[in-house]
Amino acid sequence: MMLSGKIQELTDHLFRHESGKMIAVLSRLLGLNNLETAQDIVQDTLLQAMNSWSYNTIPDNPAGWLHRVAKNKAIDFLRREKKFKEIGPHYAYLLQSEYSLSPTVHQLFLENEIEDSQLRMMFACCHPSIPAESQVALTLKTLCGLSVPEIAKAFLTNEETISKRVYRAKEKIKSEKIELEVPVSEELPERLDAVLKSMYLLFNEGYYSSHPENLIREDLCQEAMRLCLLLTQHTLTSYPRCKALLSLMCFQCSRLNARLDDQKNIILLKHQDRSKWFLPLIQQGFDYLDAAAEPFEVSTYHLEAAIASLHAAAPTFEKTDWASIYHLYEMLYQLQPNPVVAMNKAIASAYAINKQKALDELLQIKGLENNPLYHASIGEMYFETDQKEEALKWFNKAIGLTSSQSEQQLLREKMSLC
Amino acid sequence: MLIFQGTGVPTGSPEEMQIHMGKWMAWIDKLAKADQYAGGEPLLPGGKLVSGAGGKNVTDGPYTEGKEIVGGYFIINAKDMAEAVEIAKECPDYELGGSTQVRQVMKMDM
Repeated sequence: MMLSGKIQELTDHLFRHESGKMIAVLSRLLGLNNLETAQDIVQDTLLQAMNSWSYNTIPDNPAGWLHRVAKNKAIDFLRREKKFKEIGPHYAYLLQSEYSLSPTVHQLFLENEIEDSQLRMMFACCHPSIPAESQVALTLKTLCGLSVPEIAKAFLTNEETISKRVYRAKEKIKSEKIELEVPVSEELPERLDAVLKSMYLLFNEGYYSSHPENLIREDLCQEAMRLCLLLTQHTLTSYPRCKALLSLMCFQCSRLNARLDDQKNIILLKHQDRSKWFLPLIQQGFDYLDAAAEPFEVSTYHLEAAIASLHAAAPTFEKTDWASIYHLYEMLYQLQPNPVVAMNKAIASAYAINKQKALDELLQIKGLENNPLYHASIGEMYFETDQKEEALKWFNKAIGLTSSQSEQQLLREKMSLC
Repeated sequence: MLIFQGTGVPTGSPEEMQIHMGKWMAWIDKLAKADQYAGGEPLLPGGKLVSGAGGKNVTDGPYTEGKEIVGGYFIINAKDMAEAVEIAKECPDYELGGSTQVRQVMKMDM
């Protein structure tokens, strides 16, 4: 086989994704209190692969190769350390006997068991006793195979902050004795909501961050979608709300390429070139939204996905079904009465009803005093109702609040028209 | 022959490791296309050191410093030492503190 063909055989992010899978499986085998051992075994495995595959000896089944090496390293570790008492109660007994040790390890590396382990890991990382930002950091570290520097870069923060978040999560796992398990049925919906919220945060971090590097933002969005997909595929967790969230992510992601111009400035929905929207993702968005209809439930994700679907279906900004969007925002506000939803509802009312109504609604919102988009929107409504002096004041405040250069650029353009 | 030393100890993320591996593959690919690559193998860490009369001393090792450990070798075709050195300069491991020995294989005329 041609060498270049060999290179292409390795899928994007193979190491990253296999690392996430293997850490989940090994943590299940060794117990979550041995998470660091699991991470060490995986790091060793990848290192071994890197050193031998570099010489053009990529195996036919790269993932299978990695799993086999990780299995052997885990078996070696268990034989050597004999730490069975510290290992989770589920496997300690089976691992003590040489007769069942190896079959037990092999069993856990079967495809459906890998998915099961990942699912358990998601519930552990998003345990309600772990602070939300630590949940997201631990998820990225264990399930997505991102390093602390990579997470810090994506979150526009320093490595120390991320290390602390991961550390706090690991401390909670120890102090709360969090195990790798799928919650029992009556607890499941609530625990699932915590997982979904974490996925939603992860996605938004990628989608709304104004990071100059596109790739990192897209990586976060992709990871959130990958994990959400896993939830929709597993019989225990395939609730309509998971499909609704995945649908929302598909719609949002379909616009990623249309959101930035060549200078990486943000292009508002209004001015986006709709022919750049990625149709296959829009189609998937509709498919998941359809699938989310039964059994009947209305989650905030359903409403947000429905709003995104109306934007996706609109041929132009002006021909958008603003009346329905405004109505959906009203319903969303019932479920989630927070100032950000109120702001979006007000903005929709500008097109569904009129600009004055939007301005009135916006001015009533409390709690967004430091939100640049809030100030920019009020400026916009003053601008649209021909009160340019007022508009200038609000745009000016917005500029002072945003650290994003592309947003500042956008606002300066607006101000030059006032 | 290119002998690679002090390689294989990056502390990078899975993604960085995969990218680094990709650089090696791309390098081999490039050499192969130019008919300069004749083969190569990675070496596993560890091994034994045999010495003394009759090889009576067998120890674990070679225990040399990390930067001296041989990680693998390439056999390449180069017209002279200068070209071989130019090829060796393309090795992706220098950023990780690696080094490369460039040695000429002696051809015995029969």
